[in-house]
Amino acid sequence: MSPAVAHEGGNRQSLDRAVLGWMGESDWHEDEERFDALAQGLFAHQFRHCPPYARFARARGITPENIASWRDIPAVPAGAFKEIALRGFPSARIVKTFRTSGTSGQKRGELHLDTLALYEASLLASLEKLLLPDRVDPGGEGPRPGRTHIRVLAPSASEAPDSSLSHMFQILIETLGSEASGFDVVDGHLRVESLIHQLRDAQDREEPVVLCGTAFSFVHLIENLEAQGLGFRCPPGSRIMETGGFKGRSREMSREGLYAALEHRLGIPPAHILNQYGMTELGSQFYDSIRVDPNGPRRKLGPPWARIRLLDPETGQAAAPGEAGIVVVHDLANTGSVAAIQTADLGCWVAGPDGEPEGFEILGRRAGAEARGCSIAADEMLGSVA
Amino acid sequence: MSNLTIQWPDANAEQVEAAKGRLDVARRRLVARSPDGILSVLGTVLDQWRNPASKWRQRFMGEFPALSGFSPEIVSAGLDLALEHWTGDALAEAVRAELDSGRRSPSHRVAPFSMTSVLLAGAIPMPSLLACLLPLCVQSPVLVKSASRDPITPNLLAGSIAEVDPELGRCMEVVSFPGSDRESLERFLAAECVVASGSDETIREINQRVRPSQRFVAYGHKLSIAVVRGAGCSDDKLPGIADALALDVALWDQLGCLSPVCIFVVGDDARGATGRLSHALADALAREQSARPRGEVDAEVAAVIRHEREEARMRAANGAEIVLRESEGSHWTVVGETDATWRPNPLHRFVRVHPVPGFDELPDALTPVVRNLSSVALAGFDDDLEKLDATRVELSRLGVPRLCPAGRLQAPPIGWHHDGLPVVLPLTRFSSFESSGP
Repeated sequence: MSPAVAHEGGNRQSLDRAVLGWMGESDWHEDEERFDALAQGLFAHQFRHCPPYARFARARGITPENIASWRDIPAVPAGAFKEIALRGFPSARIVKTFRTSGTSGQKRGELHLDTLALYEASLLASLEKLLLPDRVDPGGEGPRPGRTHIRVLAPSASEAPDSSLSHMFQILIETLGSEASGFDVVDGHLRVESLIHQLRDAQDREEPVVLCGTAFSFVHLIENLEAQGLGFRCPPGSRIMETGGFKGRSREMSREGLYAALEHRLGIPPAHILNQYGMTELGSQFYDSIRVDPNGPRRKLGPPWARIRLLDPETGQAAAPGEAGIVVVHDLANTGSVAAIQTADLGCWVAGPDGEPEGFEILGRRAGAEARGCSIAADEMLGSVA
Repeated sequence: MSNLTIQWPDANAEQVEAAKGRLDVARRRLVARSPDGILSVLGTVLDQWRNPASKWRQRFMGEFPALSGFSPEIVSAGLDLALEHWTGDALAEAVRAELDSGRRSPSHRVAPFSMTSVLLAGAIPMPSLLACLLPLCVQSPVLVKSASRDPITPNLLAGSIAEVDPELGRCMEVVSFPGSDRESLERFLAAECVVASGSDETIREINQRVRPSQRFVAYGHKLSIAVVRGAGCSDDKLPGIADALALDVALWDQLGCLSPVCIFVVGDDARGATGRLSHALADALAREQSARPRGEVDAEVAAVIRHEREEARMRAANGAEIVLRESEGSHWTVVGETDATWRPNPLHRFVRVHPVPGFDELPDALTPVVRNLSSVALAGFDDDLEKLDATRVELSRLGVPRLCPAGRLQAPPIGWHHDGLPVVLPLTRFSSFESSGP
């Protein structure tokens, strides 16, 4: 599809079909022309049907008619999802609303969806490709392996209906999980004894297990196993997918420290532990490259329908190679809201096997960095960024 | 040929222990000295630090800005303003005001702790200077752990005391070790009195390591704000108010607990005055940037500033009557808000100005932060002193420890009640003498 066709189209149904078609392809490869056409078409659609986004774009002098490529499409700050309903359809068509986490009294960001088809197709494609690549038949033919034992250190979707993370794990279990799969956070508490039983069972039966959850839930598990002096040797093929940060929720640990502790207590080596980078406001997620490129540098990879830009935080221009930049995600799975989102995270390009920037890494708060001042506001801001 | 350095694993802990041993020896001489004599020496030291031409200030200016990340202009202006009234006489008066009644009473005696450990944090020199001096004022030798962001201030202070009075100089020891060095920290925290500054996380951690039998004085991270009377923002007053607030924001790059995080414009014409003040403040911050540039920020901070600017732009594009004024880079930002809703603030000269239509609504507006407030600057009350008094009473009733005019946030008097605490009394203990009969 050429950009011109995309402009004329800008039709939601045809855009959804085109993006879903891409998500259904097992062979992932960057296709600049295809992405650009869809991105521009989607911008035209969202400009027309999401008035707050159109006003934001117009205030910057940007319209679908005056952009040359998807890189010119204005990105809304993620925080705007707390302030304004960013959707391109009437509220009567909302079938699901995901909300960002937050304490009572705090505004929470909201992603409204009128269909879950793209959201679920995108997350499943990425999970299969980047977390469970050994499950996927590369040729798209032949029988698939059996279902996988998945334990989730997070509440179920029924317990946390507005959590995109819980929904993602629910879909993962429903689609790929074995009967032994399930959630280990119930009524807001990690059921450690039940999980220990599951781990022991998996160890005894030599059945690989996939553990998914937030980073701080794994810290909580490690603390419990340490306190009980317990350790497991999870069978080969087991893996962990963790996401999110630690600050304010549990003992703070470096990611390296967490992975070392997980290897020590669960017998799952760092090469089988992946970090996921995602946001409630996004329909697609990014995963560590470690399962698809075990010998290359650890970096975040995502599906070809979601692209990253890194912007110099001072100038707003593309960050120079090797320099830190604000992560801007352009996610074609966000057809119903806004595809281009500027985060408050910092990232850096990482070269792939051919030496060219291929993935990225998220730069966290410098470990051990002491604040220069004594204002509590700085603590809060840095905490929210970490 | 390369140099080979061998360091014992517990070298830092040994150094802490050795410093404590030296202080224990010095203490015996310290407690025998006259309190007034000690105050006189410390007053002389303070007066030297107040003098920009003194060798201590010169050395400080030569070393501190590059290490701290503050521009030399900010450091110089911050010290000049804060030390303006920190005279030796003012120090002596503040100490005597608290201790004299105890010293003269036949029924009790004020006694020093055998040693005070002071854990410093951050890179703003004023609280570090005072925290090191105060234990000496009450005849307690002081063991100081310098902050990783500022190893300069305590070491130069120790040097300046030793030059004036070598014996008193031996009563201050400065040590340095990483926060992760638990062995050194345990030994450091074994003093009878421990004073700590830092984030809530740091204070919690230290508190867990201090025994109930020890005195623990904690200064957590706080924040400050400004309250401006909307009706006082007349055309002739506005530039002066904006200049004063811009100075409060610009000094120490808005990173201190005395720096205003945001400004509330209260009362009649709050919305209109918010807009006018936002523009005037932006102009004043632009002038501050020329005269006293902000230090460089890392990309993490710049990213948050950019995000908050974009978020304001998004709201503005969608009908909110927001004033967004910003420098070309991330150097300063003013967001004139439409209401008093508390929003994230990246600091580093990023100020939000909030309208609050009625003074009776101010307590609600402050609710999210009132427990963390250090100081409140007041402006625009010149022609309504009754309202000024009422506002002071109301804010003090809410628990605000300090109220001052705009432009003076960064210059508390030396005897100010930091976080509402007395100056030196927490660093002492009382012994009461009771007779057998009535």
